[in-house]
Amino acid sequence: MTISTGIEELDNMIDGGLRPGFCYAIKGTAGAGKTVLSLFITMGALKQEIPVLFISTEVDPDKLVDYVESFGMNFKPYIDKTLLVEKMSLKPAGTSLVQTDKFDLSGIIARVKKKIQDIGAKLVVFDSISAFFAEFQYEKTARSSFIDFIREITNEGCTLILTAESQVTEEYATLEEFLVDGVIKIRSELKNNQLIKRISVPKLRSAQPTHFENRFIISKEGITIFRSEQPPISLIREETTGILRLDELLGGGIPKGSVVLIEIDGETNYFPLFLTTLNHHLEEGKGVIIHSNVHMHSARIVEEFKRAEKDILPHLNEGNVVFIDKYNRSVTAVEAREMSQLMTTDDMISVTVELMEAFRKGKQSVVLYGDLTDDANILTESDFLRYFALQSFNVKERGSIAYSFLNFNAISREILARLRTTADIIIRFSRVDYNHYIECVKSSTGATFLPKIVKFNDKLPLIDIIG
Amino acid sequence: MELKIMFFTSPTCSWCPYIEGVLKHIISEASHLELEVINIADDVSKAEEFDIVAIPTIILPNNQRIIGGADEAFIREQLQFFMTMGQN
Repeated sequence: MTISTGIEELDNMIDGGLRPGFCYAIKGTAGAGKTVLSLFITMGALKQEIPVLFISTEVDPDKLVDYVESFGMNFKPYIDKTLLVEKMSLKPAGTSLVQTDKFDLSGIIARVKKKIQDIGAKLVVFDSISAFFAEFQYEKTARSSFIDFIREITNEGCTLILTAESQVTEEYATLEEFLVDGVIKIRSELKNNQLIKRISVPKLRSAQPTHFENRFIISKEGITIFRSEQPPISLIREETTGILRLDELLGGGIPKGSVVLIEIDGETNYFPLFLTTLNHHLEEGKGVIIHSNVHMHSARIVEEFKRAEKDILPHLNEGNVVFIDKYNRSVTAVEAREMSQLMTTDDMISVTVELMEAFRKGKQSVVLYGDLTDDANILTESDFLRYFALQSFNVKERGSIAYSFLNFNAISREILARLRTTADIIIRFSRVDYNHYIECVKSSTGATFLPKIVKFNDKLPLIDIIG
Repeated sequence: MELKIMFFTSPTCSWCPYIEGVLKHIISEASHLELEVINIADDVSKAEEFDIVAIPTIILPNNQRIIGGADEAFIREQLQFFMTMGQN
């Protein structure tokens, strides 16, 4: 049975809640809210009738109980029943110390175990180990014998939470990070003259930790965590992309009638993504219309499929794939620009609509592919936006799917913003430091996801999404 | 007047038996000093009362604490003040 932290989003981040026998560290810079978070977790446990032992190394118990009230919580009804607040430090007031390096922490272990027995505590909070260790002249000895403390307390079946100060820049993981089962990291940063608090879980044993950092605020109502990644809200089984993990992340797939905008940077080859989905839709028996251009044309597609040891010719012969040539490839790119285009925007749309109707008569649903980057540069702005809007309208009306590839570095921000408004799903596929990432920034299913690593394969499916 | 020196030990402390021996030896030289050995495994409440964290801890009558094991010379040096007190 897990103990809820009383903060729903935090429970999600640590895989459901605090586990018995586990030790968690709340790490953070000064003022980030370590103590406050541990107090809110204490309150959360108390509300579930879970006895808590709160050990403070800095603050007197009375002071702490008053401090808690400023956050709209009241510890008083629980004190000495299901809550014990204890101050434990090496140097009690009015004493002087002489220290050597030959000691262990059996004193505090015995005391804490006794307190645990007194109230049957299931959760022990130790705030903070940094202040505790600071009192030792031989800090290394204290840290190494603290292992015994963690072991003895967690062996009792208790959940142990330690708070620890972290430096602003930390190159090495500190001792406690190796020893504990989970690390909850909080930090505050100054942005636009505002202090912004962020929370993440960089380490979690027995479960996959969340890979992203969330923003949180502390108020009288408690701690509110704002999720930076949204889980899928509905499961759609209608249209899948052929990339298993992508479908999962999108909540099952792509709804019919969706315009999918795939934003790529100039350095990323989108063909693996394009061919994998194309192959999947052809296997499903769909009709595919490709608005071809200098990048996305029949010869290259056939060639690339051959390289992946896949024969596409049967589909071409059956007429499942139709190319609409906007530009004549017997001329150079420069000449193509001079000639503007061989078809007007309206021609393109009407031909596409006719083809869609033809597929519909053959009871085939339609998938549309296009590389918009050149269009955006060759056509006038109004022509281009008209083309995209009309195409999107047709796609939505006929319950088809359109995949539009676009180099987001090559077009103006205004146009990109307008395309983004029209698109139902926006997927960003880009390269950072020789790694490719895929990310969903907008989705009609409500499922967005943060950058995930993309793995390329030699054979279909040509890409996999990791994580 | 008897002065009490408190010595906190635990079963896991490997330096404690030696220090206990040293303390007994030193204190036997001064009749006004008394040694109280407290094993925290038997008496946690005492450890609580005196806020014991690390073991071994020696509490001297002036509220000074010696934390950690050491050799006889070191302990004798720390106790010197109370040893000479008795001679006056």
